[in-house]
Amino acid sequence: MKIVVTVKLVPDTNADKRIDPASKRLVRTGVETVLNPFDEYAIEAALQLKDKAGEGTTVTVVTMAPESGKEVVRKALAMGCDDAVLLSDDGLAGSDVWGTAYALAAAIKKSGFDLVVCGTQSTDAITGELPGALAEFLGVPGLTYVRKVELNGTTLAAERETDNGYLKVSCPLPALISVTKSIGEARYPSLKGIMGAKKKTIAPLTLADLALDAPVGSVGAKTEVLALAQPPAREKGKVVHVADGAEGARAIVDFLKEKKLI
Amino acid sequence: MKDVIVYVEHDGGRPRRVSLESATKAKELAAALGGKTRAVVLGKDARAVGAEMLTYGVDVAHVAEDADVDAFAIDPQVDYLEAVAREAGPALIVVPYTMIGRDLGSRLGARLGAGMTADVTDLKVEGGRVACVSPKLGGLTITTCGYLTDYGIAAVRPNAFKASGGQAGGEVVELAKPAGKSYAMKVEDVVVEAAGEVGVEEASVVVSGGRGVGGPEPFKTILKDLADALGGAVGASRAAVDAGWVTHSHQVGQTGKTISPSLYIAVGISGAIQHKVGMRTAGTIVAINKDGSVPIGEFADLLVVGDLFQIVPELTNHIKSGAHHA
Repeated sequence: MKIVVTVKLVPDTNADKRIDPASKRLVRTGVETVLNPFDEYAIEAALQLKDKAGEGTTVTVVTMAPESGKEVVRKALAMGCDDAVLLSDDGLAGSDVWGTAYALAAAIKKSGFDLVVCGTQSTDAITGELPGALAEFLGVPGLTYVRKVELNGTTLAAERETDNGYLKVSCPLPALISVTKSIGEARYPSLKGIMGAKKKTIAPLTLADLALDAPVGSVGAKTEVLALAQPPAREKGKVVHVADGAEGARAIVDFLKEKKLI
Repeated sequence: MKDVIVYVEHDGGRPRRVSLESATKAKELAAALGGKTRAVVLGKDARAVGAEMLTYGVDVAHVAEDADVDAFAIDPQVDYLEAVAREAGPALIVVPYTMIGRDLGSRLGARLGAGMTADVTDLKVEGGRVACVSPKLGGLTITTCGYLTDYGIAAVRPNAFKASGGQAGGEVVELAKPAGKSYAMKVEDVVVEAAGEVGVEEASVVVSGGRGVGGPEPFKTILKDLADALGGAVGASRAAVDAGWVTHSHQVGQTGKTISPSLYIAVGISGAIQHKVGMRTAGTIVAINKDGSVPIGEFADLLVVGDLFQIVPELTNHIKSGAHHA
């Protein structure tokens, strides 16, 4: 059984993020890069499946990132993934959801898979659209927002979150899932894991290796940014100290009335 | 792009509000593009929901009451939506920016080679082209994007547009079942834990609880009562979800949902950056906290410093009794 986990490298949430007005892209230089927090749950889900399945099940990390992202990928290996594929190419810069999913799908197909596990979204782009597009390009069933997953032989059984509960879904492998944090808190790399990760393989891959039929990167983009604007920052509002519940409620009711919200 | 196609999410025989909002916006866009407004309604109750969509200005409601739509996850819906898109020709397809909408939009986008825009808060036609406005970086930057493709897919944020009904005309048309398809992802069971509840993404009022709430109980009692009185939903901060007080589907923030209700009431939430990025674009933010120096005070429109266990029930009574009308 081969499980592939897709991960993205994103700017740290606490970092000062901005978009370059000239390229209209997120500035990624000079900003600390981390594993997308959602993808840590994907790694956790894959490792839980591996822990249960035991011998013969491997977890491969696949990412699209600059060469400099190698050290961040190593964290996934330190958590317990077996190896990694790092798709790096200047020609990928400026890829939108479509291009990213298309190129990643090709890399995943090349590596081979029974199950692909993704995070639900990234903390930088926050489109939440990569897993669906990836499933489509891989030509496999895709189930998103999974909160619980089991493998019974070559059948996947999962629970998908809904707004008012969940769905129980099953499908044969190969398949793709995206998981939420309900899957369980992501494990920390152990010291042994960190030491071991240094010896694990991060296989480089370029666009030339993939021989894609359609263009990706900025030339293959399906959307363009027409304008960027900075909304005014939210300002500090009123602060009211109240003595009891009645006074607090009255302050809120008056405020909501003034705002015509009630 | 000429026609505008709206995918309709529905529940219990009624379209969800985001779909009504989308249809109203779609009508305006289709008029500017010189095309038709189409709605796609699938699964149980599709005919009745389709008929209701006509009153929101839809020209053609494409419906299919096909049991496969409810028996299998997502794939049958993608096939139906694709069929309508191919029939319409170059079109804008509007899906809700919800769990289902993101899935459908992204699968269809990959299939059609369409440009995809997410978390769209405004749609306009400028110089004959569709322009999509979305906040990025947690609301720090507003981008306007255009499509470079025949088909465009816009995943629109609930509460971004006004819904306007009471219109006449249009027709309901039955869709043919897509040929030669087989489906593998079987829905074994649909478990409803909170019937009739609106999700935090769709609610126009969200009452969220954080660490200061102290346990699971208030989420079911005082916060729920206030949310019900305001016709809203209950949300939560990461701390509350991580403590197991409430399920992840309620979480607002970086590893939860990004929402923009017209009113957000943060109860016992300090407002760290991870929370802020999920709700910063709400219309009005009211915070209740016992600590006057919490970060949320820096960006809330009103911070009431006091005992949430006293204030929240009292506030609910006020709202329920309509005392504010006096």
